[in-house]
Amino acid sequence: MLAYITRRLVYGLVTLLALSMIVFMLLQLSGGGPLDRLRLNPRMQPVIQQLTEQWGLDQPIWKQYVTWLSHYVRPSEFSLHNALPIIAIGAAAAATVAIGKFMKAHWKGALILVVWIVAMYVTFTNLTIKFDWGTSFQGAGDVWDLVFSRVGATFRLGFTALFLALVIGIPLGIYQAIRQYSFFDQLGTTGAFIAFSTPIFIVGVGLQLIFALYFEKWTGVKLFYVAGMNSPGYSDMTFWQKLGDTLQHLVLPAVSIALISLAGYSRFQRASMLEVLHSDYLRTAKAKGLPRSRIIIKHALRNALIPVVTLISLDIAFMIGGAIITETIFGWPGVGRLYIAAIGTVDYPVIMAIVMIIGIGIVIMNVVADILYGVMDPRVRYE
Amino acid sequence: MSEPLLVVDDLRTYFSTEEGIVRAVDGISFTMEPGQRLGVVGESGSGKSVTALSVMGLIEPPAGEIVTGRILFKGQNLLELDEDQMQEVRGGQIAMIFQDPMTALNPVYTIGDQLMETILLHQDVSRSEAREIAIQAIEDVQIPNASQRMMDYPHQYSGGMRQRIMIAMGLSCNPDLLIADEPTTALDVTTQAQIMDLMLQLAEDRGTAVMLITHDLGVVAGFCDDVHVMYAGGIVESGSIDDIYYNPQHPYTWGLLGSMTRLDDAQRKRLHSVRGAPPSVIDLPKGCRFRPRCDFATEICGEVLPALRDVGNPGQRAACHHAEELDLKSMTAGEETQEPAVSEGASS
Repeated sequence: MLAYITRRLVYGLVTLLALSMIVFMLLQLSGGGPLDRLRLNPRMQPVIQQLTEQWGLDQPIWKQYVTWLSHYVRPSEFSLHNALPIIAIGAAAAATVAIGKFMKAHWKGALILVVWIVAMYVTFTNLTIKFDWGTSFQGAGDVWDLVFSRVGATFRLGFTALFLALVIGIPLGIYQAIRQYSFFDQLGTTGAFIAFSTPIFIVGVGLQLIFALYFEKWTGVKLFYVAGMNSPGYSDMTFWQKLGDTLQHLVLPAVSIALISLAGYSRFQRASMLEVLHSDYLRTAKAKGLPRSRIIIKHALRNALIPVVTLISLDIAFMIGGAIITETIFGWPGVGRLYIAAIGTVDYPVIMAIVMIIGIGIVIMNVVADILYGVMDPRVRYE
Repeated sequence: MSEPLLVVDDLRTYFSTEEGIVRAVDGISFTMEPGQRLGVVGESGSGKSVTALSVMGLIEPPAGEIVTGRILFKGQNLLELDEDQMQEVRGGQIAMIFQDPMTALNPVYTIGDQLMETILLHQDVSRSEAREIAIQAIEDVQIPNASQRMMDYPHQYSGGMRQRIMIAMGLSCNPDLLIADEPTTALDVTTQAQIMDLMLQLAEDRGTAVMLITHDLGVVAGFCDDVHVMYAGGIVESGSIDDIYYNPQHPYTWGLLGSMTRLDDAQRKRLHSVRGAPPSVIDLPKGCRFRPRCDFATEICGEVLPALRDVGNPGQRAACHHAEELDLKSMTAGEETQEPAVSEGASS
């Protein structure tokens, strides 16, 4: 299994390299450079000259790429606050080898995963690391700082939406499968199709209109805000006010994303559950005389969740890129909005940084999904 | 024997489909004594599996429904029990083994876990005692290294081994009745013989009654005391093994026996085949259901559905208007062979 994970990570590295090359090339080929806007003004000629040289835009593409790549992977700041990171990684490596060698249970994958998550957490909280991802062409400063100032907001929105989608979508799908073709099932199916086929900007704007604008008009109570992450006076609030304010801003965008993805999850869970419900081993469980609740929870659910867990892992990977449309509608200061703004202004370093973060996230979450798959399904072997 | 173990009385199980009502089991009655080994044979769709599922209470509404009838198990009508009471019976007093062992076990739990689950459910024992019973059950079905293999998953077992596990699971709670629904159909012939021998031995040791559902007359001959032949949702002939094989009274039974291959048939004759196909149980013909395929049909066969009645040897019954007139014993279906076909398995 260790060899398998290592191999997957090496393949992932190759994928990332190819991704960076293709995206870098496409940006150059797409026409329109970051300085084109300045060309409208004849007096800017010397500035353009200077910036072209400073940013290396006069170099051949391959040279620009190599320069970018060598900076991208090189830490510009690196310092250990104490010896904990080294100890943590060493311990994790030793534990991985030990688990791989001496444990027989099939869930050793989960254990390795947990060990490494803890090790990574300890490591990153005890060191300062920063990579030289360049400076934004739009004068927004250091790209590393810029991107990571947005990641928190994106994760807050993304994980809230995912949480809502899972907590509602998965039980919904299961219930629909158990009561297949009942009124509730038909209702859920229809609802899911409507939610799934409605563009997110209609859902988002619709929620804003109904729950923020008209609700306030009719009742005079300000329930939700339509833009931003916090109110201006946030830092002066008490804890409960802070919590309330956060929720007032968070609920509408999170619900708009969750509504669409819960439609997807409930359909997926329903299909996967139905397949299991018609399986022979469930008939065996019934023939054993198990009560229906035990049959569903123990025998059906465990099997029906396997494909869904994979889907969730990949969803988390895509979450890192931010929800571009939702963040734009709700003025949410996340990665997605930064991304779309960077594309609009042809800000190469920012675009590349975000593309690569998404890529790295997908590679890592794919490996995580594979490990989880093996943990949940004992038939899966890592060869 | 004072009280019969199982009495099935005028059981009718129908399924509603888009094409119409499927009369999968249409008025069958039979009795099983404790320790009896009963074979139920018939073609696909003759209603043999549905009979078994009806007894187990595994017919799922709304698609399927037991319309009328009684299923008395030790004097208690199973159809009147509520779900909780039925769960006590299932697995505890009546166990069932299914056709395809490759998919009958849950892939994500260990064999030990799945075995112990049944034991803990039906017996008042602690976990460690349940473990002991499970290990014993695995040893009983002749799988070596039982305590180690408890921790393995189904995919680490071969098909034959998995069917052994299913048998172990079925017998682990010492049921009074074991229903085996084509237990060897999915297995290769060598494994088939081993599994049948094992079941025979275990059932005999424990005095468990077995209802063996199969389309393989050879398997029945080696295993059962009595046989019911089913056709299109009804029993057309029943009797002891010897009666059925040596003195068939129903043209369908006779046709089936003629279609069996025989090792001792040196003359390499063409095998007989019962002409035509079984009728659709949605749109049954009037009168005898076998009439369209029967070589001996007369006018009355098209009018009146023959009832199962005593003919032939004592205890033998057949549903044919002409059972007495036909001397099926002396005829052989297809071309002439000296004696009615008996499977090589009969002597084992």
